[in-house]
Amino acid sequence: MKKLLLKKEIDAFRKKAQKLEHPREMVIDLLRAIQDHFGWVPDAGVELAADILGVPPIEVEEVATFYDKIYRQKVGRYPIHICDSICCWIRGGEEIAAHLQQQLGIKLGQTTSDGLFTLLPTCCLGGCGRAPSIMVGKRFYGHLTCDGLDQIIAQLREEAVG
Amino acid sequence: MPTLTIDNQTVIVAEGGSVLDAAIALGIVVPHYCYHPALGAVGACRQCAVTILEGSQKGLKMACLIPAEDDMQVSTCEEEAVAFRAQVGEWLMTNHPHDCPVCDEGGECQLQEMTIGAGHGIRRYRGNKRTYLNQDLGPFVAQEMNRCIQCYRCVRTYKDYCGGEDFGVMGSQQRVFFGRFKDGPLESDFSGNLIDFCPTGVFTDRTNRFRTRSWDLQQAPSICPHCSLGCSILPGGRYQELQRVRAGGNRLTNDSFICDRARFGSDWNNHPKRPREARISGEKVEFPYALELLEERLEKLVEEYGGETLRLLGSPRASFEANLLLKKLAEKYGAPAPYYDAHPRRAFAARMAASIPSGQLASLKQLRESDLILLVGVDPLAEAPVLALALRQAARAGARIVALDPRPLELPCDFEHHPLTQESLLRGLSAPEENELLESLRQQLETSQRPVLVGGGELLGGEGLRLLLHFSESCCGSHDCLIFPVLHGPNSFGGGILGATGDSNRNLIEDLENGNVRALICVETDPAIEHSEPGRMQLALSRLELLAVFDHLPTNTVATADIFLPTRTIYECAGTFINNEGRMQAFDPVLEPGIPIVVTGSGGHPPRQFETTPPGSAPRSAVHLLQWLLKDRNDLFGLRRQIIKELPCLRDLDRLAAGDNGRRIADCGDTLEESRTEIWAQEGELQVLPITARYGSDLYSRWSQSLTSRFEEPSVWIHPVEAAERGFVNGQKVVLRTVVGHFHLPLVFKAKMARGRLIVPCLPGTPLEVFTPGGLSLPCKIYSEVDNA
Amino acid sequence: MSSTPQLLFKNRIPGKTAFLKEYCKTGGYSALVKALKTMSPAEIVQLVKSSGLRGRGGAGFSTGLKWSFFPSDKPAPKYLVCNCDEMEPGTYKDGELLAADPHQLVEGMVLSAYALNVDEGYIFIRYAYEGQFKNLQKAVAEAKKAGYLGKNILGSGFDFELHLHGSAGRYILGEETALLNGLEGKRPNPRIKPPFPAERGLFGRPTTVNNVETLANIPHIINGGSEWFKGLARNPEGAGTKLFGLSGHLNVTECFELPVGIPLSEIVEVYGGGVWKSRKFKACLPGGASTPYLTAEHMDIPLDFDTLAAVGSRFGTAGVTVFDDKTCMVAVTLNLLQFFARESCGWCTPCRDGLPLVCWLLEKIEKGQGTMGDLEMLKEQYRHIGGRSFCALAEGAMGPLDGLMRLFEQEVIDHIEKGHCPF
Ligand SMILES: Cc1cc2nc3c(=O)[nH]c(=O)nc-3n(C[C@H](O)[C@H](O)[C@H](O)COP(=O)(O)O)c2cc1C
Ligand code: SF4
Ligand code: FES
Repeated sequence: MKKLLLKKEIDAFRKKAQKLEHPREMVIDLLRAIQDHFGWVPDAGVELAADILGVPPIEVEEVATFYDKIYRQKVGRYPIHICDSICCWIRGGEEIAAHLQQQLGIKLGQTTSDGLFTLLPTCCLGGCGRAPSIMVGKRFYGHLTCDGLDQIIAQLREEAVG
Repeated sequence: MPTLTIDNQTVIVAEGGSVLDAAIALGIVVPHYCYHPALGAVGACRQCAVTILEGSQKGLKMACLIPAEDDMQVSTCEEEAVAFRAQVGEWLMTNHPHDCPVCDEGGECQLQEMTIGAGHGIRRYRGNKRTYLNQDLGPFVAQEMNRCIQCYRCVRTYKDYCGGEDFGVMGSQQRVFFGRFKDGPLESDFSGNLIDFCPTGVFTDRTNRFRTRSWDLQQAPSICPHCSLGCSILPGGRYQELQRVRAGGNRLTNDSFICDRARFGSDWNNHPKRPREARISGEKVEFPYALELLEERLEKLVEEYGGETLRLLGSPRASFEANLLLKKLAEKYGAPAPYYDAHPRRAFAARMAASIPSGQLASLKQLRESDLILLVGVDPLAEAPVLALALRQAARAGARIVALDPRPLELPCDFEHHPLTQESLLRGLSAPEENELLESLRQQLETSQRPVLVGGGELLGGEGLRLLLHFSESCCGSHDCLIFPVLHGPNSFGGGILGATGDSNRNLIEDLENGNVRALICVETDPAIEHSEPGRMQLALSRLELLAVFDHLPTNTVATADIFLPTRTIYECAGTFINNEGRMQAFDPVLEPGIPIVVTGSGGHPPRQFETTPPGSAPRSAVHLLQWLLKDRNDLFGLRRQIIKELPCLRDLDRLAAGDNGRRIADCGDTLEESRTEIWAQEGELQVLPITARYGSDLYSRWSQSLTSRFEEPSVWIHPVEAAERGFVNGQKVVLRTVVGHFHLPLVFKAKMARGRLIVPCLPGTPLEVFTPGGLSLPCKIYSEVDNA
Repeated sequence: MSSTPQLLFKNRIPGKTAFLKEYCKTGGYSALVKALKTMSPAEIVQLVKSSGLRGRGGAGFSTGLKWSFFPSDKPAPKYLVCNCDEMEPGTYKDGELLAADPHQLVEGMVLSAYALNVDEGYIFIRYAYEGQFKNLQKAVAEAKKAGYLGKNILGSGFDFELHLHGSAGRYILGEETALLNGLEGKRPNPRIKPPFPAERGLFGRPTTVNNVETLANIPHIINGGSEWFKGLARNPEGAGTKLFGLSGHLNVTECFELPVGIPLSEIVEVYGGGVWKSRKFKACLPGGASTPYLTAEHMDIPLDFDTLAAVGSRFGTAGVTVFDDKTCMVAVTLNLLQFFARESCGWCTPCRDGLPLVCWLLEKIEKGQGTMGDLEMLKEQYRHIGGRSFCALAEGAMGPLDGLMRLFEQEVIDHIEKGHCPF
């Protein structure tokens, strides 16, 4: 089974938590690290973060559930954030979203059965000049067209196999 | 103190008060949700808008956030503010379900009242509503999140005020969720306050769901009987069944909060085994017959053997009036003055507390405002839970809390803990100048502004409390160092006042054993459990010629009484308790006694019996019984007037009304009782200290079925180092040998307890119930189960 | 086109990032050397004040004035926090700046910290700016190594530690008090003011929060002086240059450094290359999603804080999003409000429950199912939400709604009367 976080990372966080006057300030770092490693943040991830920070799990959960880029549910290997804010939306964002749903055979919020892709609508990605845009994990793709999207999906599929 | 005008009415509010406080003081309804006097203002709900016409900030403002100023002019009627308040009402209701007719909060829903107060009536929104899945929060609190209006009061109550660590707010935007990380029982000992503080039907009392609509409840202001703090409560019931308890409001004591023991521990009143009929030698008889027989036998006994052979035992559970009448009864028969606690050490502690000058006693309010609190020999969560809440409020405002106690204390706030044994505590207090820790604490107390010393009567005893009083006097040069004694029961202090005149050197158990006593009357007490040596007491009781018991709990002593008379509970009669700080507080009856209709009707339709009195309605109040014996015809008011004449320090007794803030006793002017010598056991050898458990140690929670889920498993606690020296491991089964018996128990490590001691929580319904807290530690031996075999 | 002096974008080469070597080549860190050697903190605050620099985070408050309220004499720790949350749709200038030239921010922060006598700083970076985060990590490491950061900077005795904090999404974190809660690891609801962050900010200590672009301007002001900085603007009241992020229905949607006070027409025609598909200009957001629309009649107004306020809009972040004449403004407004409703933190009622109600009304109208009563109700919502929420998020959401009511009421009525969207 995949680990939440490498032991050496856990140790480093624990060490830092002891040094810091306000260890809680690391909570987002911790959740992001767990997510980078595990793909998402399961309950055990929240509990691990709470343990490292020396706070009850609810304190971490309160924060974890606030941010939309912390996945508290399982997502595919490539979570695709589709920008639906104004700049992308007026330059074809809806078509991009429709195309992705059609190509992957899933609706927004769902994950493909091979566990590779999850489609998530998101607000502005800061790529307003390169609309329409999406973000796959933390990788940004702008100036999208439907053809371009097909290529990206194909590439990611290849990457997953390789 | 600013003076301002709201809607042309002038009002003066306290410094720091808000416009909303001022409006509330005037009785002007400004609807609000997130503001609560105990929680303060956060400006989240935006419901309390008013218009400031004159003042440093003008225009439409949130009344809870604007400090009241002199010469301010405020209007609640400007069109814009009225329209805005209605709009906020509409917003809050967009997602609220239309389930008022079946909602458990119906009839006492603040949301309903304030929505109407805000002028919102017709919802224009026709879209979908957001819905939630609820969590299972355990046996006490039910959750129905769809009704939530996101006022955030629940988190602020549970987490901020009460210090609970397993409840919070999750999510964001229109989907915030208030609950636990995962399903499971709420862990806080104050979880029930969610029910009172949620303004709508999200958190309701699970123990009382689907039983009564709130408007059908019979309610009356009362005082919690579970410990000595005397928190205000508002019990309610119907059909002769006590169904629920809510917090009352008394800003001098519990403010608006109570503990779960108080809230969910009231069904002892309806206990199926509750004795409701008079009995002679175990046989049911008519009430008047038993009473007449008792009188007859008492008279005969006194005539034959003299009043000296009659003893009377009152209790901290009985009302002050009943305890006083007991004293009169003693006088009438020429018997020695009554005892007021079956446990001699507790009785002594109560007498000592009652002799502290009233001006030196702290209230819970003063505790909340203190800047340095020293806890000596007291475990707040076990002995006086709401004290823990007060400590938390002091800590939140920056106070330091220091505890000296052998137990592995937990508190809902930061504190310093010095785990000293009971003996070293007492010894330290007897010569504080030689004790480095106490000496340094003394200096800190001296330099703090509003210090309070909290002393636990159970651990310190009367002697310890006396030493603590001396210690406090040595700390206060320029200002008072107040004392907050924690006693055993709701009327321990009252017993202390009445007992002060008695001869403290008499010893009930020895007199019983010597055969000097032929008859004993026990009023609402069970000496066989409450005495420090229950086994010995039981044996001693069996030698009596006449054991008369007045009580309402199904105790063993009730079962063995020669003459038993059932009494009414505090929910069924009026009376007075005097709490640990000498505050007299009145309680009113909520219900008539009787077997609940759910029982007589087997859960269905009320039975069609045609009797003039309902079944089980025989009990009279202890006061009534004693008055009958005394041929005293005073009503309660007359009785109180009579008390005042004899005990001038209770001069405000006749001005009490149930539900008010109570009144402090005046200085009784008694001199401190000379201490008797306590045997302070030697350090070094292993001893076991029986302690009060958080749930079950007081007689009322012991008989509350709702609380059983909170009872701990029996175990014996040890410091890990102590265990390591003896080769024990955590969780290991051991045999504990003491004078009261041998016990097979798991050993539990507690890193924060005193060394050189074992600790056992006294738990009802387990072998450990033979231990009684409130005494000194006992010699013991401990073996691993294998070795023992 | 090339006539605008480039300060912030001076080292910008598309696709590349200038690090220490490149940065220093064009005068990087010379301002720091100059300030530490020759200027007192108070002089810097005065200089920034007289330069006319106004906050680039959206509110446009005078930076020097804000700094002058900072209690720099209070004991350490005190904090300087850089706000790089930048999540308002239409705004992407800070991201461009950090992608091109991260050392500017580092130098700007050290200078600002020196001016405010602050010993610790944080840069708060949004989740989507992974590349910018890495750039800053490298820049901070380089600056530390070169002695521009850390203990005893350039031998002056001044210490400044700089930490990076990566966020995890959500627009509300851009609100400065919510950001502070976020940094502390708490739920990022905004805090009640007063106390203001200058008095009790991060971890309860005096704190100043400034935008990336604001801070990046400081080295240039120190080097060039306040008069020079002021003179950069086109309009007499303005000061400095501004990063304009172009987006929407333009042929060119890029970020340009242009003088403050430049008219909209020049942005659209010269830099934006005109409206796409040879269509006509209908309206634009002049400074991000929270600013009321401008229309063709506003083409010649100098783009600056006070001039735009005078016509009922705001300069905001100068993220200009243009809409062509085939665009339904009801739909645009709905999209914008959906953004705000979704990004509400959930703390106060007008925002949490009011914005979704606005969306419900707009959606109804957009679908052609609205009534004149709905229009009335929409106006009521505008009146009740504006100025009455706990923080400025819901207030910002009223920008586009205000624009719609004021400038495009007829379009709303058309939807209602026709029973369908006319576009
Ligand atoms: C909802 C909301 C979002 C904001 N987002 C940002 C942001 O992303 N970046 C920013 O610099 N300021 C943002 N601000 C403004 C900040 O609160 C703050 O005024 C600014 O960082 C101050 O910096 P400045 O004076 O340099 O502009 C936002 C304000 C609000 C109310
Ligand atoms: S759960 Fe109750 S107390 Fe908490 S926010 Fe909702 S309505 Fe208020
Ligand atoms: S009571 Fe004033 S905002 Fe909630």
